[in-house]
Amino acid sequence: MKKIINSLFVLSFFFSSSAVFAKTQISWWMEARAERDPIVMEKLVNAYNSSQDEIELVIEFTAQEVLGEKLRTALISGGGPDIVRAAGPSFIKEYQMAGMLENLDAYAEQYGWNNKIVPWAYNSGVFDGSLYALPLTYESMIMLYNKTLFAENGWGVPTTLEELEDVASKAKAMDMNVYSYGSTGWQPTHEHLVGIYLNNYAGPENVYKALIGEKEWTDPVFVEAIELLRKHMVDEGYWSGSLENYYAIDWDQFHDAFSARNAAMMTIGTWTFQRTEMNFSSIDDDWGWAPLPSLSSNSPDQNFMLAIGTSIGLNPNSKNKDAAASMLNWLFSNKDVVINLSNALEFAEFNLPLYYEDSDFPADVNPKIKDFLSTFGKVTGEGNYGYCTWAFWPADPGVHIWKDMEVVWAGDISVEDYMADHQKLWDKARDKGTTLSIPNR
Amino acid sequence: MKIFLNKSLIAWYFILPVLLIHLFVIAIPSISSLALSLTDFRGMGKLNYIGFENFNELFDDRYFVKAVYHNIIWTIAFLTIPVFVALVCAYLLTGIKRGQLFFRLAFFFPYMLASVVNCQIWKYLFSPIYGIGTVLSSFGLDLLTTSPFTTKEYSLFAVAFVDGWHFWGFLVVIYLTGMYQVDSSLYEAADIEGASKYQKFRYITLPMIRPVLVFTIMIITIWSIPVFDYVFILTKGGPAYSSEVIGTYMYSQAFERFNVGYSSAIGTMMFFYVLIIVGLFGVLRRLGWEV
Repeated sequence: MKKIINSLFVLSFFFSSSAVFAKTQISWWMEARAERDPIVMEKLVNAYNSSQDEIELVIEFTAQEVLGEKLRTALISGGGPDIVRAAGPSFIKEYQMAGMLENLDAYAEQYGWNNKIVPWAYNSGVFDGSLYALPLTYESMIMLYNKTLFAENGWGVPTTLEELEDVASKAKAMDMNVYSYGSTGWQPTHEHLVGIYLNNYAGPENVYKALIGEKEWTDPVFVEAIELLRKHMVDEGYWSGSLENYYAIDWDQFHDAFSARNAAMMTIGTWTFQRTEMNFSSIDDDWGWAPLPSLSSNSPDQNFMLAIGTSIGLNPNSKNKDAAASMLNWLFSNKDVVINLSNALEFAEFNLPLYYEDSDFPADVNPKIKDFLSTFGKVTGEGNYGYCTWAFWPADPGVHIWKDMEVVWAGDISVEDYMADHQKLWDKARDKGTTLSIPNR
Repeated sequence: MKIFLNKSLIAWYFILPVLLIHLFVIAIPSISSLALSLTDFRGMGKLNYIGFENFNELFDDRYFVKAVYHNIIWTIAFLTIPVFVALVCAYLLTGIKRGQLFFRLAFFFPYMLASVVNCQIWKYLFSPIYGIGTVLSSFGLDLLTTSPFTTKEYSLFAVAFVDGWHFWGFLVVIYLTGMYQVDSSLYEAADIEGASKYQKFRYITLPMIRPVLVFTIMIITIWSIPVFDYVFILTKGGPAYSSEVIGTYMYSQAFERFNVGYSSAIGTMMFFYVLIIVGLFGVLRRLGWEV
């Protein structure tokens, strides 16, 4: 009897510690953000791990500034996490070109991802005809305005250049900045503005032609667009009062300035929802969002620029590719999980580009954000969309567009020379094959 | 066996661990960088040998030329202002008998702080929202309303000022130590001869601390080439490349634009520059200078 008990004990110990029952662990390195990380842990990691018994998702949070370099080093040395993340298509394309991303065609077919993800976003991860990355967060540029301030003064939300310049002069007359925005801490902020003027002055159609190489960036329509931006930035001081102030103000400061009525409006991406909602929750004023005004007849009345803020793929060195793909499929197949997670972040992140119905959104979704999401879906569904620079520009021209914008604003080179330099970098990128897939029109 | 226990090799055994670390952390990456400068490497994946194409492009790159020019200005600025101020302060401190430690600590304190902390302090001081400018404005003075870090005419000098502010205390301590080594009988003799304070400084202190002075000039010249942290934190080389230095430009090429081969070519140029400086001081030493 004693022998039997001992044998059972040994067997139970063996099975309890055996790999037979161990979960397959999949790793994902993500940029750290103190206020967001607990939400990700609760609504993504715990939700997934408790949904099944075979796979365990482990997220390692790393400082944003070093994540890219750490990931790159790990991948080069044959290591790294199972899930590879990058700040959008142009960055993940670099991994693909270096052979550091797994081809996802087989998984896409197995799980039917192309039917779950909206086409333009799905195609942002298609390189050389194959799927290599999935879009984790879609974004767009919008205009925020102080609703209370506008109502008090009887101002209408500008939809055209004339209306914008009218509101701008009225705001200035009240000793107020037109827009609150700044680039301290994130120099590429300039590209948000360049993208707005290219799309809303030159028009998405022309931008599309330039992206696919049917039009040169030196075309007068682009030169005029950048010239208008230069005028608004340098001559008129639309953003934070002057070019120098725009350079000196950071994320916290321009958000605070906006809620403190130091500015009437703000040009920003949809990632701001969480922060803006937080700032306005403690004051009497209310905020609203609007599409960016059309700046010329080249641009349709209402369009949204498309962007993918984060792209994810699989590490070809991973031993758990199937498990990682299965986890990604769980995420892209569970709209309720996605909405629950994204809603907790005010739809600033984990905004997966899936097909949503109004009924998918729970009652507690902020009505302003719900309005944006449904309007965005409707407008872009009708083909009225433009192109954000960080999603559709290859690395070299993508840096040039914001870094050298400062040289134009400083008056060191002309807009014509700037666009000529830009065209040269595009020509080079085409020669090297680093261009990205552009959503058709 | 005896050959390994040779006394002359013992020193080498002690230095071996450091040599090995240096080999793996400095020498091999440096040699790799030299090799990469001849390729079109983008940080990942395949690389192709492209000869001296990166170097040809470098000499036509107006922003690289601008960065080199800024490094020269930076070197001149650091070889003059902090050295002069530190020399004067150190000399004056030698005359203070009570409370000298307080001044030494006060001057040296910014050097002990992390560069990020120093930069943040000055960023706040020059902020158009919270900074000195807003305080002065409340008194009707229209001064410093715009941050010098964001003005293309002043950005390089503003960053150099902050870096110099943190650095000069280090020089004070070095010079002070040098000045205490000077034989006091020389000053006593000068006093008997009726020499003024300036004359004692000019004809006794300066010549006597010349090795220290030349050493600091050498390290400033060398350190001014890879300057990076203060520029990166305060301006990222902007606005409009107005404070771009070789270090920040090299970083931008490698990590923003993925032009690792090109960036390595910039690094190679920096390496040769430092080699020339060190060689120059070597020549001076051979000529009998106390370097």
